[in-house]
Amino acid sequence: MNRSPDATAPVPLLQVEAVSCRFGGLLALDRVSLELEEGEIFGLIGPNGAGKTTLFNVISGLTTPSGGRCLWRGVPTTGLGASGLNRLGIARTFQNLRLFESLTVRENVLVGLHHAARAPLLGALLGNGAFRRHQGRLEARAMELLTLLELAALAEQRAGDLPYGDRRRLEIARALATAPQLLLLDEPAAGMNPAEKDDLRQLIGRIRDHFALTVLIIEHHVPLMMRLCDRLAVLNFGQRIALGSPAEVRTDPRVIEAYLGGQGQARGEGR
Amino acid sequence: MDAALLEQMLLGALLALSVYLPLGCGQLSLATPGFYAVGGYVAALLSTGVAAFVGSGATSPLWALLAEMVLGGMLAGLIALAIGGPVLRLRGIYLAIATIALVEILRVLNLNLPFTGGAMGIFGIPQPFAHAEGYVLFTLALLALACWLCQRLEALRLGRAMAAIRDDELAAASVGIDTPRTKLIAFVASAVLAGVTGALAAHFLNSWNARAGSFDASITTLAFVVFGGSRFWLGPVIGGLALTALPELLRPVGDLRLILFGAVILLGPLFFPQGLVTAERLRALGALLGRGRHRSRQAPQAP
Amino acid sequence: MDLLQILVNGLSVGAVYGLFALGYTLVFSVLGVINFAHGAVFTLGAYFTYLLIGGAVGANGWLAGVQLPFALPFWAALPLAGLGAALVALLVERVAFRPLRRRRADPLLALITSLGAGVILVNLIQLLVGAESYAIPTGALGGLPASFSLLGARVRTVQALLLGIAVVLLALLTLWLEGSRNGKGLQAVAEDPETAQLLGIDSTAMVRLAFGLSGFLAGVAGGLVGLSVSIAGPYFGIGYGLKGLAVLVLGGLGSVPGAVLGGLIVGLAEAFVPADWSGYKDAVSYGFLFLVLLLRPRGLLGRPLPTKV
Repeated sequence: MNRSPDATAPVPLLQVEAVSCRFGGLLALDRVSLELEEGEIFGLIGPNGAGKTTLFNVISGLTTPSGGRCLWRGVPTTGLGASGLNRLGIARTFQNLRLFESLTVRENVLVGLHHAARAPLLGALLGNGAFRRHQGRLEARAMELLTLLELAALAEQRAGDLPYGDRRRLEIARALATAPQLLLLDEPAAGMNPAEKDDLRQLIGRIRDHFALTVLIIEHHVPLMMRLCDRLAVLNFGQRIALGSPAEVRTDPRVIEAYLGGQGQARGEGR
Repeated sequence: MDAALLEQMLLGALLALSVYLPLGCGQLSLATPGFYAVGGYVAALLSTGVAAFVGSGATSPLWALLAEMVLGGMLAGLIALAIGGPVLRLRGIYLAIATIALVEILRVLNLNLPFTGGAMGIFGIPQPFAHAEGYVLFTLALLALACWLCQRLEALRLGRAMAAIRDDELAAASVGIDTPRTKLIAFVASAVLAGVTGALAAHFLNSWNARAGSFDASITTLAFVVFGGSRFWLGPVIGGLALTALPELLRPVGDLRLILFGAVILLGPLFFPQGLVTAERLRALGALLGRGRHRSRQAPQAP
Repeated sequence: MDLLQILVNGLSVGAVYGLFALGYTLVFSVLGVINFAHGAVFTLGAYFTYLLIGGAVGANGWLAGVQLPFALPFWAALPLAGLGAALVALLVERVAFRPLRRRRADPLLALITSLGAGVILVNLIQLLVGAESYAIPTGALGGLPASFSLLGARVRTVQALLLGIAVVLLALLTLWLEGSRNGKGLQAVAEDPETAQLLGIDSTAMVRLAFGLSGFLAGVAGGLVGLSVSIAGPYFGIGYGLKGLAVLVLGGLGSVPGAVLGGLIVGLAEAFVPADWSGYKDAVSYGFLFLVLLLRPRGLLGRPLPTKV
């Protein structure tokens, strides 16, 4: 049955409708549904291998779900692919950091800015005045973003040479450069110390306010998520076992069960 | 150095740039010699068969050469456009082998089609230039144009998108780059350049046959780029010039010459895994010359 | 020509392609690269066989007129030629592959270095024994007749031999891969080199083993083709090398049964090309390859590669 969006009620920014994902014998996602409202910071938590990154991959178009679909402002996004979804307004970072390593910090951000800004080919080839002004605007925009993420001093460094924390922030800068409405952050605090995590939390809040963004975030550090997020969903074995405000999720018996029963390191590394 | 060898070196550099373009966005295409052969056949057929292009006696007008280059480049580009969509979905070694297969299919067609002259090919192709020096000047201009375009590409949206795909195709898609389209543009540009070069080479060589586009040539042109370096356009140009000249320069050693050529191809990548032209060496060169290409590339829009 | 005849011709040619592709696939499965010197190793196998059965070198190379002081029967010369080819393949690994592996260089470079090794080998052959063609006399088969008839089709003995030897080698290879310690080690390295290393498998030894085996198969195939159609010159392995490449992808990179299946398919398909179109025969395998790559990019029997995010 297909609900048509009600004309009076606001359409959610993103709806995930009963998305399933099967890899061979493994059911990585089992009919997961979510709705993101505009402007909220939404957290996704759960043990390793619960399917969080797979859900990110589905939302950002890198993985085609075996069942269900996503809707962007009420319109199905099926078949758009990663670049199509990015142009729609979804940007992401990667758990394992996927920067353009041989490019400089500045160029990484410029790549992100480029998709929105097409310059006339002939002018671009000749490097005429209009093109130079166009380039100047992009460069200024890039430096603005780098300044916001405290990377301006490193602009001419090769991305592959950056230390870990700077790479994480560069990935966020690159994602922001594509002017998203929804930002997906996959474990942005991984490998950070408590002070850095606190900085990151403030940064995410600042970004949300500055760009009027909606943020969907995966993070293992539960206390950080409790303070940062407006709402949380908990995944376990591919299923959404809880959804609500941090206070509601904290007291949910199924969440406590999943964390106490299943967070053991024996489950190993995974998505 | 004699002009004929110089001309061959310049043609080698153009072909190396043709291999470099797809490699610049991470696509290992070995199709260049196939498109080169196609361009050459276009020129050979037009200039020996179509009255307007034939000219008088053994010479042909310059405009005919230009028209043939445009048409040869266009036909090569159209073939690339037609097959690029599905072929470029393949990755790494699969793409390489598919493009080798394309070269072989084109070679078999060139050998067997009723109008391509069979194994003998087409000969008596008229000359737009009386001397090899004319070809050298003309080809030098073409090479300069190709280099200038490659240099400009680095500052452009398209060039950055290519570099991004080379570094990480998935991440490139996730920042909104239309990766299939970008790869297709690079592939078609590579084919056009090879086709144009083929049209020119057919006149220079005076005859054209299916051996112009062979597997050997696929690997030799790839060697140009690997040898020179695949990060900056200067690398393939130097690789193309040097490796084309090498067998000729080795002529004094007689029978051993191709063995030494093989040894150079074998040892080159072992000693220069990044190729001769690398970012570091360019920067060093830039520092040496005061204002280097690399630095001017980094300063936004130096006029 | 009737159907049976076409089948026999196609299968025997296909067996050669299969042997060729097996060599590629062994190396590909452990290193993930194509060995472009493989065609030259195949060519050497043919020359070794020619020399071992007592053939004399022609008048044009540095070795003009040289002849071994003994003449082996074909059945003894063939495995020895295979061993000789295996040694050359090991040498190729040593100079063109191992230095890159040690430096963890871009695998793409191995395409170039192995081609360099191939160029050296081919030109060395030309230097030593000249560019002329050599025929291995069918008398080398001893008392066997040159051909026999089977259900009405005329089968050349060498065709039957090609097919038989290919089948036996494939069976032995499969048994060895599945049943022996080294065979399993080789598979483990193909699956995941780092884990294999952790399990105490010497991956360098396995790589050497893969090269040795692939060289042996190529050498044997070369000797058989030399017997079947004569050695056309130092470059005669290149055409087979390219076909083998098409077969390799057709069957699925890294798949042993795929290599053989692909070989047989291509051999048969070529045999069915009508005589009027024989000029296009060489395009058949590449046409197939193209189709398979577009419809099923991993080849007929290849495993899908996981994409990691």
